[in-house]
Amino acid sequence: MRKQIISGLAAIAALAACATAPEPALPQFAADVPAPVASVDPRVKFKDGERYLRDLSANLGIPREDICKELSRYDCMTDAFRIVLGGVEAPNLLVNEPIENAALTSPIAVDRVALHVCSNRVRMDREDPAEAVLFKAGAFGADGRARTPDAEWLNATADAIYGSILMRSPSEREIQNLAAYYTQVADGRAANSPDVAADWVTLSCFAVASSLEAVFY
Amino acid sequence: MTRHLSRRNFLRTASLGATGAFIAARAPQDAFAQEVMIERAKNPRFLIVLSSFGGANQVDAFLSRRESEVPNAKTLNAYPDDMVQTIGEFRAIDMKGPSIGAIPAAFTANQSNFVRKHNNDMMVVTHTGTSVNHFVAQQRSINGNAAWKGRTLQEAVALTYGAGYAIPNVHLVNGTGFTERGTDNTLPAYVYGERAPTPNLWPLSLDGYRGIAGAPDRKLFEAARKFRNERLDPSSDFFRTFSGSQRIKHWTNIRGDALRGVEAEDLITKLMLFPDSEEMPLAAHGLTGSAIGQKVREAFPNYEFDPLEAQAALAFMLLRYGVSVTVTLGPEGSAVFKKGVTLGEGGLGEGDIVNPPISFDFSHQANRQVQAVMWNRQLSIAERLISLLKSEEFRDGQSFWDRSMIYFATEFGRTRRRPDNAMTFGSGHDLNNGSLIVSPLANGGRVLGGINVDNMLTYGFDPTTGRPEPGRQMTEPEMYSGIAHALGIDTAGSNLPDMRAMRRQA
Repeated sequence: MRKQIISGLAAIAALAACATAPEPALPQFAADVPAPVASVDPRVKFKDGERYLRDLSANLGIPREDICKELSRYDCMTDAFRIVLGGVEAPNLLVNEPIENAALTSPIAVDRVALHVCSNRVRMDREDPAEAVLFKAGAFGADGRARTPDAEWLNATADAIYGSILMRSPSEREIQNLAAYYTQVADGRAANSPDVAADWVTLSCFAVASSLEAVFY
Repeated sequence: MTRHLSRRNFLRTASLGATGAFIAARAPQDAFAQEVMIERAKNPRFLIVLSSFGGANQVDAFLSRRESEVPNAKTLNAYPDDMVQTIGEFRAIDMKGPSIGAIPAAFTANQSNFVRKHNNDMMVVTHTGTSVNHFVAQQRSINGNAAWKGRTLQEAVALTYGAGYAIPNVHLVNGTGFTERGTDNTLPAYVYGERAPTPNLWPLSLDGYRGIAGAPDRKLFEAARKFRNERLDPSSDFFRTFSGSQRIKHWTNIRGDALRGVEAEDLITKLMLFPDSEEMPLAAHGLTGSAIGQKVREAFPNYEFDPLEAQAALAFMLLRYGVSVTVTLGPEGSAVFKKGVTLGEGGLGEGDIVNPPISFDFSHQANRQVQAVMWNRQLSIAERLISLLKSEEFRDGQSFWDRSMIYFATEFGRTRRRPDNAMTFGSGHDLNNGSLIVSPLANGGRVLGGINVDNMLTYGFDPTTGRPEPGRQMTEPEMYSGIAHALGIDTAGSNLPDMRAMRRQA
């Protein structure tokens, strides 16, 4: 019982910490673009899974049929998460209308799909650098020596991620956020490692591809 | 979302482990309400809705009548005397036949084995509905025709007992009125039904990371989620413009504590019914099947091709692992054939049809044969679920079954007339029927109400004593109330009638 209480306290404390941790300080910008005015009638729609995957397929240059496979054989949308990602399947499941509100598992499914897609893209980039879309490894040593990525490479990659996934250029704040995030990914590892850089590209891609702006429209 | 537990309740939830963590994340502000939530999570009741699509007709089963008992037996749906067995207060029909109406497949169907075994937990209650439209009647069978602000029985159970459960209300069958969301929009989000349409792949949606080849380390992945939630999204123009949207608020809420709670339970493993195989290459992706998978697959060996068996298997696992307090399953509209059977190659053999097309509703074509096949199917599923639930201890020597109820929800009955002495005939929809409820919590061993042998329609009973009352028709709100009360749901303020006769412990 004591063990159960301790583990329960730990779980609750963890949730409490998640709920009350102070917001990390954002980078300060002297001349940022003024914040937009909040909509007085903020209506957004959930981008159903098929549309979401087709967009990523087109923008990241991965054929739709290959972009996301669960267990390497089941299409993430058609076979695995069609309903929780807002799709319909009338012939067999009799689901004629998409779910009205996101299911508890919907954000998890979106995260899985985004991680699948971004991991795929970065793997493809590393396998064929000449056709790389996101992870352009030139900064890591055309001369065969790795070096810590510079601001230019970070900015260019951030620009590629936003441009590919959200079809827009990132703001200065967004670029700075992603660049600052590199130190977090590299924490405890060699910052000039291509693996670290690849992880950063994968996870930055994941964060943008599963962001509110990517999931809703 | 920040939640606050009182100090006393903080310590009490701590003793509940993961259950306590979910309560902490969902706790209401009121300390007394928190205490109630904690107590109910510790002593849950489980509702299994075994939906019976198309009209599971009581006069073809537990309320059947012999021709010798019915004055106009020639034109009413009464059975030959030697087909009707009497077991306690119940009747049962066992039947064999060379075809299911126009479907040339022999069948053997049995009701008596189930009745003999579960007689003491069976309760049949008569009632008359208000719609013969499939979808509408399905909805009313689980919301009592909006008896309690429109909330469904499943939602009421999830609200009462589900705060400490990861996904309290799971719908394994979809696209029916039995799983339609209720119309009470004031309930917390976690009580509404979660769709789990594909039992083999759905568990993958319970973890955002595991099983994805080439992904960075999990710690980095979690940090990326935090970065997205706390820095990237809040600083985007999109969020600052649309942050007031209810959809955005709902999304950011469920991808927080609720998501972490679900993943912490390792449900992607616990609920993985399928074993490692060529079709489900789990090991190659760092995944494993459930520890109780073998036991469950042995109980439901047709899980690979029969959607209902797969649903039932996952339903048991959801209850057994403390994930849910209510599950809804049932046959779908499609025909199901035995594995390996293909049409047009030498005809169909005995038992090749596992589920006729449109389930009970194929009674339009052949009432008796379809009712026999479908009741046999439903009872077989229930029997195996009960055995599994009895085999697992909940606490202090009590099994999961001791706290469970199976409600065979159905839309309506079938018309009672037949051509003179016909054995094979079609039937229509009829408002009049009854429901089977199997549970240690119900007034078991009882038929509440009766049959008017002049027209084979059911009549009602006294809600307090259960005494038969010819001329009375029980209503949908009364059924809803009786089930809710048998499950220990507090309906104070709802104006629902007291249906003491349906409870085991009045």
